[in-house]
Amino acid sequence: MAAERIETRVGNRTLSLSNLDKVLWPRDGYTKRDLIAYYERVSGAMIPHLTDRPLTLERFPNGIDASSFFEKNVPKGMPDWVQRASLPSPGGTRSKITYVLCNEAPALVYLANLAAIVLHVWTSRVGSIDEPDFVLFDLDPGEQCTLKTLTIVTLAVRDALVGVGLSPLVKTTGGMGLHVVVPLTNGHSYEQAKIFAEIVARHVASQCGELVSLERMIAKRRAAAVYIDYVQVGHGKTLTAPFSVRARDRAPVSWPLDWSEVEAFKRSRTTVPADAFAKYTIRSVPKALEEQGDRWSGRSWKRAKLGTTIGRARKLWR
Amino acid sequence: MPRAIWSGSISFGLVTIPVKLTGATRSHDLAFHMLHAKDEGRIQYERICSVDGKKVPWDEIVKGYEFEKDEHVILTDADFERIDPKVTHTIDIQEFVELEKIDPIFFDQPYYLEPTKTGRHAYALLRETLEQSGRVAVARVVIRTKEYMAALKPAGAALVLDLMRWSNEIVDPSSLDLPEDEKMPSAELKMAKMLVDSMSVDEFEPEKFPNRYREELLAIIDARVTGKELPKMKKAAPSRGKVVNLMDVLERSLKETHRESKESKSRRRKTA
Repeated sequence: MAAERIETRVGNRTLSLSNLDKVLWPRDGYTKRDLIAYYERVSGAMIPHLTDRPLTLERFPNGIDASSFFEKNVPKGMPDWVQRASLPSPGGTRSKITYVLCNEAPALVYLANLAAIVLHVWTSRVGSIDEPDFVLFDLDPGEQCTLKTLTIVTLAVRDALVGVGLSPLVKTTGGMGLHVVVPLTNGHSYEQAKIFAEIVARHVASQCGELVSLERMIAKRRAAAVYIDYVQVGHGKTLTAPFSVRARDRAPVSWPLDWSEVEAFKRSRTTVPADAFAKYTIRSVPKALEEQGDRWSGRSWKRAKLGTTIGRARKLWR
Repeated sequence: MPRAIWSGSISFGLVTIPVKLTGATRSHDLAFHMLHAKDEGRIQYERICSVDGKKVPWDEIVKGYEFEKDEHVILTDADFERIDPKVTHTIDIQEFVELEKIDPIFFDQPYYLEPTKTGRHAYALLRETLEQSGRVAVARVVIRTKEYMAALKPAGAALVLDLMRWSNEIVDPSSLDLPEDEKMPSAELKMAKMLVDSMSVDEFEPEKFPNRYREELLAIIDARVTGKELPKMKKAAPSRGKVVNLMDVLERSLKETHRESKESKSRRRKTA
C-alpha cells in the first residue's frame, strides 16, 4: 500500500508529511498527527532552546511500544534547508558526525514527521561548541524516592545556587526527575561547568545527608534518595530538550516550571514524582504555554560568570 | 494530670485570683546511674572531712562562705531565716509592659497557671485583657523559699508565669569582640537577604527538629535491653574538604581562562 502523503506549508517551507494517523501512543491513542501538531504549536518557545545545539533524535517509527533508535547523524533524505553541523565523533576516532540543528519551526515539524519523539540536545551551541551555556543538575529520584524528598533536594540545590547570587531554572525531564540549570556567559569550559556542578552537588549532599546520593553506580544508590547527576555535561553529552515529548504513556513533556510550582509539590498528596509531572503532556502543554509563557525565556535566562560566583561560594560554604 | 507545685493567688489592685502552678516544660534528658563496672554496684557518695578524713554526720555540717581564698565566714540558720522572704503565696503584680520590651534572654522557666473553681472568671478576664493590650504583667513571687521576678503572659487559653533572671544575671555582650561598624556592601546584603527569603517559612514548626541525640541514644539502649543488633550509625556528612579543594581547582582554571582571553585580545589588538 502506498503511504498517504500530505503536502503542507510550515513557515516558508513546504513539507510532505506521511502516515499521520499512525498511532504512536497505543494506550492514549495519540497519533503522529498529534505529535506534529504539538511540536508545531510549541515551536515558538522551543526553537530558541534548540537553536545551534547538536541534536540526538530518539525515533519511534512504530510507536512507543515498538523498537526505537537513537540517531546522531542527519537522517537520510533530509532536505538541504535543514541546518547541520559536522563535529568530531565524541568517541575520539577521527570520524565525524553530521548533526541536525533544529533552528526553525519547519525543521521541528520535519523531525516530528520522522517520529523523532524525543529530542536530546547538547549543553553548548555550534560556534562555541566547547563552551557550555549552562550548568546542568540532573536530579534523578531513586525507585522509592518520594516527591517530597525530590522537592526538598531540588529546593536545596536552588537555595545553594541563589545563595551565591545565581538564578537557576528548573524543568521536568518528562520522566521521573527534574533538571536544574544555571545559564552561563560565554567563555566557560565543560571542565569548569562540571567542577562547579560537583561543588554544588557535594555542598547539597552535605546538607541533605541521606536524601542525596552522588553514587554513580545505580546498585550502590539508596532507592529512597535523589541522585544528583552533575557529569552529564561535555562533548556529546545531552539532555532532554525543554518541551521535548517523552516516549511514555500519556506523552509527558519536559516542562519548564516556576519555582513556586516546585514549592507546591511539598504540599502535594502525590508521592510518586513521575505522577506529579505527568500532567504536563502534549495535550496540556500547548495551552499552558499560551497562558503562562516559557519560564525559561530570554528574560529569566540570566547568565552567570562562575569567577564571581566561586568567590561567594568560598565565603558561604566553608 | 500534672501535679501542682505551688498554689496561691494572683493579686493586683483589689483583685485576687486563686491559682495553681504546674510546670510548662519537662526535661527529656536521659539520666544514668554510676555503677561499679565489676559488679554493677551503685556508686554512693559520702561526706568526708578533708581535715580528719572521717565521715561527717549531717548535724555537724554548717554553711561557710569563702570571702577570700581559704577564708570562710560561717552563717547560721538564724542568719538565713532573717532574710527569708515572707512566704506570701501571692503573685504580686508590680507593673504591665509590652511583651516586646522584655528581652527574651530574661525568661528562664515557664509554669502554667490554672485557676481554682472560684477564680475562673477573673482568670479569663486577666488573660483576655493581657491578650488584647499586648502587654504582660511583671510580678514578684515567692516559691518555696526563694523570691523571683516573673512575667505573666497569655498563651492560648492559659496564663503562663515565666520566672525571670535578675538583671545582674545577664552577661553584658560588650565584653565580647563583635563586629559593630562593619560596612555592608549592598550587593552582599541583597544576596544574603535573597538566601534568607528562599529559606523562609510561614510558620515555625518545632516538630521538624526532633531531638536526634536522644532518639539515637534510646535506640542503642533498646538494642542493648532486647539484645538486638546495634542500630547503624548514620554516616557523617561527606567532608567539605573536597568542596574546598574543588573550589581551588575551579578558581585556578577560571583565572587561566581569563588570562588567555586577555592575551588573545591584546594579540588581536596588536595585529589589528
